[in-house]
Amino acid sequence: MAYAGPVLLKRIPDDPAQRKLYRYADYIATGGYASLKKVLAMLPEDVIKLVVDSGLRGRGGAGFPCGTKWTFLPKDLFPRYLAVNFDESEPGTFKDRYLIDHDPHILLEGIAIAAFANKISTSYIYIRGEYHHEAKLLEAALAEAYEHGIFGQKHPGTDIVSHCYVHRGAGAYICGEETGLLESLEGKRGWPRIKPPFPAVAGAFAKPTIINNVETLACLPAIVEHGAAWFKTMGTPSSSGPKLFGVSGHVNKPGVFEEELGIKMSTLIEKYAGGVKGGKYRAAIPGGVSMGVLGTDQYNAELDFDIGRKYNVLGLGTAGVIVMNDKTDLVVMLRNIVRFFAHESCGQCTPCREGTAWMHKILNRIVDGFGQPQDFDMLAELCLTMGAMPGTTICGLADGANWAVKTFLQKFPEDFKSRLKSRQVQGVAGAGVA
Amino acid sequence: MAWIVEDRLKAYQPARNEPYLTAKIKDEVSRKYFPRYPNKRAALLPLFHLIMHEYGYIAPQAIDEAATFLELTPSQVQDAVTFYEEFRLEKTGRYVVNVCRSISCELCGHQRVLEKMREIFGIEPGETTADDKITLLEVECLGACEQAPCALVNEDLHGRIKPAEFCSQLQQLPAAPGHSTTDDVR
Repeated sequence: MAYAGPVLLKRIPDDPAQRKLYRYADYIATGGYASLKKVLAMLPEDVIKLVVDSGLRGRGGAGFPCGTKWTFLPKDLFPRYLAVNFDESEPGTFKDRYLIDHDPHILLEGIAIAAFANKISTSYIYIRGEYHHEAKLLEAALAEAYEHGIFGQKHPGTDIVSHCYVHRGAGAYICGEETGLLESLEGKRGWPRIKPPFPAVAGAFAKPTIINNVETLACLPAIVEHGAAWFKTMGTPSSSGPKLFGVSGHVNKPGVFEEELGIKMSTLIEKYAGGVKGGKYRAAIPGGVSMGVLGTDQYNAELDFDIGRKYNVLGLGTAGVIVMNDKTDLVVMLRNIVRFFAHESCGQCTPCREGTAWMHKILNRIVDGFGQPQDFDMLAELCLTMGAMPGTTICGLADGANWAVKTFLQKFPEDFKSRLKSRQVQGVAGAGVA
Repeated sequence: MAWIVEDRLKAYQPARNEPYLTAKIKDEVSRKYFPRYPNKRAALLPLFHLIMHEYGYIAPQAIDEAATFLELTPSQVQDAVTFYEEFRLEKTGRYVVNVCRSISCELCGHQRVLEKMREIFGIEPGETTADDKITLLEVECLGACEQAPCALVNEDLHGRIKPAEFCSQLQQLPAAPGHSTTDDVR
């Protein structure tokens, strides 16, 4: 545990007045692209080994080891693609946007390193459609990078020319799922694919493809510069390195903060986000709404990749912490979350398409005062039957919905039960509303 | 919702002689986007972003033209285009105000923004003002939760919205007819 200061946000000061956009020249002047130069003198295998040794885990939600993912590429299949996941549509998540707003070249350097290590011919930055400003920033940064030979050149020792392009999505949460993203990249509707084949074997345009999150790639320059052992001094044994935490909701100073993995949520809220606003802490979502909720007694939860096992949530997710104070109506908040999933379900698998819509209907009637006694159990039962983990859907969208519902029901049962009445008590007003 | 089928009758519009895919759009796609991908189909999203930017909505005729241009069937293009929420098949007002309704924005009072919009402009989410100036939409997370409540006006993000101030800003925008690009807002 030795976090000495920002790694990813080293060019972005705390004071908003001093923040600025780092263009190519500014980036070079602050030591940028030095890691890329170092990498180009190494063997690709050694770069992969370095990333494996660093224990870098994917920052996009699942926490899959990045280096291991790279080793899944078949030996002799070319061309290979890299898809950079900048879809960032999970409510509560805005860390990548914040990073790219100020320092787009840190991502481009990371992409160049990954492209060299894996002999990638084309990298696509899949950015969500709503990020108009960031897409323009990246296009401008890419033009600079091409001009200075970061892209458009052959990887040393090969005939593979490295390219990098921005590909804009158009408003669909599901395109952040890796195979949904690939479909969208190919100009189709973003329906997730059945696996296998895994993207590492047949991904974009049926060629081997790696999909990495923006923050994961942005970690690479620092790992190359300081080494794997240094990276492991931060965080916990199973979750090494620094992490961007986005804090929003009922806090005095919402924003993106960098800390090592394993930091206590209470520290994050009090030291960085200025404390809880408008009341006392009641609940928080640790990493985007699909991860479930942390209860009132879990204020000190350590935010690392083991959080799921320890605190009965799905996982760390994107580390977008959403804080709720004691005046919040949690049933209304759960309805908001479930409406999101019902709205964003792609409709491919029946349990998810129907299940999320029914959850939304049930929560709507609870909020409106027409909840029935069996609704609590019905919600719990729906949670058990939909999702990739019970094995009824292709992707994990439904798991996100049911973990949110499940954990709210388990940790705050009284909020729900107190609003459920029998049909008789509801009287005429409740009749016919089912 | 991606899987709700649009009402085809409502979407009907008479054909026009002048193509939606102008030479300028076709040229930009051929020059800039086709070389990026191994096939033409992958340029579908960039092409429709250009169409949206130019017209503010997607006419059925544009789908047919795009199919010819990308060497696909119209149904393949329709299939993809109707999936994405940003590709709107109906005309909107000059300024589309996308108010975020996801959890952080609801916690920080997105309802007050909608109420103020209702009070000042007399429109609910999904509606357009009578002078075709402002269309109000509710959208899911815009990825700017630290600035909650937030909204996207055409292509510009507005954060930490104070409802009254925001509405008077909207009132001051020029009300010339037709679709606007982001350049007019600045």
